Amino acid sequence: MNRKWLVLLLMIGTTFTSGCWDKKELNEIAIVSAMGIDKDKEGKLVGTFQIINPGNVAGSLQGGGGTNPAISVYRATGNNVLGLDSIASTKISRDMYFAHANLIVIGEEIAKEEGINAIFDAFERSPEFRATSRIVIARGVKARDIVETLTAIDKVSAEKVIRTIESSEKQQGRSISVNLQEVIKNLVSTGKEPIISGFTVKGNTDKEDKMENTQTSDIEANPTTAGIGVFKDGKLIDWLDGNKAIGSMWVLDRIAHTNLNIDWNDKKDAITYQVQRQKTNVAAKMKNGKPKMLIKVLVEGDIREANIPVNLNSPHVLIDIEKRLAKDLKKEMEDAIVRAQKNKSDIFGFGEIMHESHPKEWKKIEKDWDDVSFPKLEVDVQVETFIRRTGLRNKPYLSNLKKSDQ
Amino acid sequence: MVSFFKNKGQMKKREKQKIDDKDQSKSKKLEYIDSSISANLDHMKKKTGNSPDIIVRTLKISQNPEIKTTILYVQGLIDNPSVTDFLIESIMKNPHLKEKLLPKEALDVISEEVVSLGGVESVTDWEKLFLSLLSGDSIIFVDGINKALVASTRGGERRSIQEPSTHLTVRGSREGFTESNATNIAMLRRIINSQDLWIESMKIGTVTKTDVSIMYINGIAKEGIVEEVKKRLKGINIDSILESGYIEQLIEDQVMTPFPTLNHTERPDMVAGNLLEGRVAIFVNGSPFVLVAPALFVQFFQSVEDYYNRFDIASATRFLRIIVFIISIVGPAVYVAATTFHQEMIPSKLLVIVAAQRETVPLPAVVEALVMEITFEILREASLRMPKVVGSTMSIVGALVIGQAAVQAGAVSPAMVIIVSITAIASFATPSYSIAISARIVRFGFIICAGVLGFYGMILAFIVLIVHLCSLRSFGVPYMSPLAPLNPEGLGDTFFRRPMWAFKERPKLLSSNNNLIREGDNQRPLPPESRGMKTSDKKKGEGNES
Amino acid sequence: MEKAKISGFQLFVLIFLFEIGSALLVPLAGEAKQGAWLVILIAMIGGFLLFFVYYGLFQYYPDQLLTEYVRHIMGNFLGRIVAFLYILYFMYLAARVLRDFGETLLTFAYPHVPLFFANAVFILVVVYTVRKGIEVLARTGELFFVLENLLFMTFILLIVVSGMIHINNLKPVFEISGVEMMKMSFTETLFFPFGEIIVFLMIFPYLNEPQRLKKIGIGSLAASGIFLAFIMALNVAVLGVDLTIRSQYPFLSLIQSIEIAGFLERLDVYFLVKLMIGGFIKISVFTYVAVTGTANVFNFKEPSRLAYPVGFVILLISIVIASSYSEHIHEGLGAVPIYVHLPFQVIIPVFLLVIAYFKNRKKKQGFVPPKP
Repeated sequence: MNRKWLVLLLMIGTTFTSGCWDKKELNEIAIVSAMGIDKDKEGKLVGTFQIINPGNVAGSLQGGGGTNPAISVYRATGNNVLGLDSIASTKISRDMYFAHANLIVIGEEIAKEEGINAIFDAFERSPEFRATSRIVIARGVKARDIVETLTAIDKVSAEKVIRTIESSEKQQGRSISVNLQEVIKNLVSTGKEPIISGFTVKGNTDKEDKMENTQTSDIEANPTTAGIGVFKDGKLIDWLDGNKAIGSMWVLDRIAHTNLNIDWNDKKDAITYQVQRQKTNVAAKMKNGKPKMLIKVLVEGDIREANIPVNLNSPHVLIDIEKRLAKDLKKEMEDAIVRAQKNKSDIFGFGEIMHESHPKEWKKIEKDWDDVSFPKLEVDVQVETFIRRTGLRNKPYLSNLKKSDQ
Repeated sequence: MVSFFKNKGQMKKREKQKIDDKDQSKSKKLEYIDSSISANLDHMKKKTGNSPDIIVRTLKISQNPEIKTTILYVQGLIDNPSVTDFLIESIMKNPHLKEKLLPKEALDVISEEVVSLGGVESVTDWEKLFLSLLSGDSIIFVDGINKALVASTRGGERRSIQEPSTHLTVRGSREGFTESNATNIAMLRRIINSQDLWIESMKIGTVTKTDVSIMYINGIAKEGIVEEVKKRLKGINIDSILESGYIEQLIEDQVMTPFPTLNHTERPDMVAGNLLEGRVAIFVNGSPFVLVAPALFVQFFQSVEDYYNRFDIASATRFLRIIVFIISIVGPAVYVAATTFHQEMIPSKLLVIVAAQRETVPLPAVVEALVMEITFEILREASLRMPKVVGSTMSIVGALVIGQAAVQAGAVSPAMVIIVSITAIASFATPSYSIAISARIVRFGFIICAGVLGFYGMILAFIVLIVHLCSLRSFGVPYMSPLAPLNPEGLGDTFFRRPMWAFKERPKLLSSNNNLIREGDNQRPLPPESRGMKTSDKKKGEGNES
Repeated sequence: MEKAKISGFQLFVLIFLFEIGSALLVPLAGEAKQGAWLVILIAMIGGFLLFFVYYGLFQYYPDQLLTEYVRHIMGNFLGRIVAFLYILYFMYLAARVLRDFGETLLTFAYPHVPLFFANAVFILVVVYTVRKGIEVLARTGELFFVLENLLFMTFILLIVVSGMIHINNLKPVFEISGVEMMKMSFTETLFFPFGEIIVFLMIFPYLNEPQRLKKIGIGSLAASGIFLAFIMALNVAVLGVDLTIRSQYPFLSLIQSIEIAGFLERLDVYFLVKLMIGGFIKISVFTYVAVTGTANVFNFKEPSRLAYPVGFVILLISIVIASSYSEHIHEGLGAVPIYVHLPFQVIIPVFLLVIAYFKNRKKKQGFVPPKP
């Protein structure tokens, strides 16, 4: 009986005297929502940490909100990522907590010159950092500019950036939302190179960190998406914009919805087609000892806009439109592939597909895939498009206008 | 007995016990009734301390010589009409007793021809006599005979049968047990009309001599369990039994546990259901709570109503109860662990909201949780014990103090108030009060573990809890059965309830194994064929419905 | 021997949870890359063979513990030494799992907690359980089995819904050659976790239906093998080979990459539950066996009193066993399989079986030894 009490006493004793090692009360931590990494003139890393002021986000309770910024920004200079953390913490009264750092912004300069290879280890190794953190490149501006911007609807700008990229990917296919894990996976893989979305702040960049920026309806400094960055050997080498970006996304099978415009009777972008569903299949084949990629795309969608008198009731017309759509899309994708081949960067993961289907041949060409085999790769793109519906009207009203003219 | 009290405090427990035993064997030497009434009455007065509620009514019967007869009864314990009408009146007016009688005959005449009551018997020793007298029987002494007649006149003021105040149901019988064993047993008899419903009675409590009965269905109950219950009851040696809780604490398997290993109920239908599964019921006079043994863990999440409702609804309710039970155990602990150790698992937006609320709170989350829980327990305890009139005042003060003032002052975060309220409501949604109490105690352990080691501590506590539950037994039956040890057949009546037509067998671990079949085959209702997608055979009368 | 009986299902559950206990967390057979799951399955077949050896021993002495019949087979003195070595072996394995467990806990969630403390509270829980006996442990196992399965099913659902499975990541299966796979199966994966089933030689006698042992043993080895192979394949399919191998705990990375509907993410606690339940069952089985074994060898009347000292020794071993996690893992993959697992799991049992065969043949002429 006595022994039982002794054990119990020991247990209680140890738990209370030893204290709570890993305990962090919510009002003792600074929730980091985003982190920006730049380079200064001496080549040192400059970290910018965006920290949430909970009281100003949740607002109503303490009567705050609105008038005070939802975020605070701290800066630090150091030689490695953890160094940044420790230096920044001398300026903050609380422990920085990274588990909710959903966004990592990397300065364009550093991405171009140093490359991103050496940055990510700390993020990956730390149990606090999340593998699902989004990564973007600050294009044309410093990473800190994006991190310190105040935004209106989503009060925490990290969230604004992530949402913007996501919606841009989903609606247009002009950006790609990639997380830490995917980037590292692609950096390591010999058969695929990473691509990362670009982001920039447009407008009056002096005001982005002032509260007044959010107090007008026409926000002066607004962070917007800006193309997709292409990497090779961990360094940023090219930006894909507009159709090139969309074309690459088609090849990558990451398109959810996007609009395709075709010309009709010399009128530019006369018909708009909205993609509802698509599937891209990429397969590798060996032809005469050389690899060849086959890309098959199936697209389904609706006609959403027709600014010319065209009879959408007629299946023949629709087939005609489908064919043109396919042609345009094929061109778009081929352009994107050619661009990638020129960059000597296999952003589409053709190498991985080779590896999966032809492991033996892959072993031989793996070493200089990016520089020799990929640029010369023969790619065959086949596109099939289907128009399923044409919206609430059949003929555009323009066709009736024409009749009354006659 | 006397020496027991004299030596109190001077001897150790075990020695006391021994002496006690010896005392008992000595007092077994019976004292017999004297033939003289006056001697008997003197003895009586001496023994009872001349208590005024023992009424002595002296009558004279027979002629030449007149024989003195005395009727004794305890005021309040007897049924007044029976004593006045059927005892005193019949003795006084009966023509037989006006004749000349010998004292010896007189007693027989009284018992056989005069007293028009159900139970009459003669006793010779004082011990039995006192027992009967003090249970409400009337005693008849006849001068010159060293015997007494005991006429059963038990009655008196009692609470009538009312709706039970615990285990409320929407559907089902409205009867609840009362404080009288006889009434309670009769209620069961009314439900189960079988000669196999066996009852055994005993007196427990050296001073109170409380009537304790066990009831079981012969042939369904497992002999081993019945024997075990009897053995344990017989082993009880205590001065008083005031409520079935006394018995419960004296016969349970495991003492060091927050979990109840005996069930108690106020509902006769619940007892009947349990008896039919092979359990044993223990009735204690003076308590409307009947004990049912053995009790299993899953049983505390079952309500009689589950069997009255259709199985899908009943199963859904049971599932809900399990969730409720889990919430009431780990609710605040999860909050503490998540906000002080594992902030990463809270979605970012929610975390910001909670963090904003906690900005001004001076206490660590674990202390906050403990303070709030204790405050709640204080409120609950206060509202239980205080007069009903003040109750509403209480709840207003409680709600204002905790819900409004503390939150506005920033001393407590609103999230914590939400968590504590949910937990509180959850703990009352468990059908069995006794398991709800255990949950409340266990909850504090979980909060502390979560406060010290976060989810690690919590899961450790959870493992200990599970191991503890698995190690419990109730009258030899593993507490967690039929979950562990797994009994697939028994699973049909745990967290979900199988349809009534599929209750083929009684629980194996409880019921006698050679009488397991509970219902016939093909009990599934087979209504006439539906009118849906069937080829019509064009009989006449098919269109009657329209 | 304890006065207890466990049912066939309980034994099945115990073996299953025991096998997947800590093997689930590490990149099992990770070196085989895309073929890891295949290596696990091959090792499982090897596990069957070992099981038959143990089953053969059990057939000769169906109501005795390993520590008991070792003395019958090898003579009292030598038998006692071997039995004692086995007890040490079990304690060492318990300590290894405890260390694994503590290190994992510290790495991913509690970096500031001292290892000793984390291990100590855990072993306390284990000791509490062991003192309750095998029946309680088996029943606890049953409940945890249900819990694990429920969690696992939701987990699979989440993974599938989040659309992260890329079957193509599993190609090509033969990234390393078949011969290398075989070699790997029989030098590493066989001993950990499949060969560790030898510890159940101390538990088999409690089975209430010995005639079903063969089915139960093979069944649960197969179930756990397939389960482990499935998880490893899932790891690779979701994370890709490279990340799987580089991760200390691929399963954790797998869980961390779940992201559904913006709020079903960061499910690390799921990993913690899995880790703790698995670790708990495994360490408890080892500790229990060490305790009953010690009691048996030294003729101790009350085994439960040994639980605290044995637990304490295991705790100490778990601390001094290695100075860093890398060293711990390195030992586990390098020296331990050859110098520890091989003799205890294969050589001695086979040797015992052979002697038992001859001894029993001599004793009972005409007695046909049961075919394993």
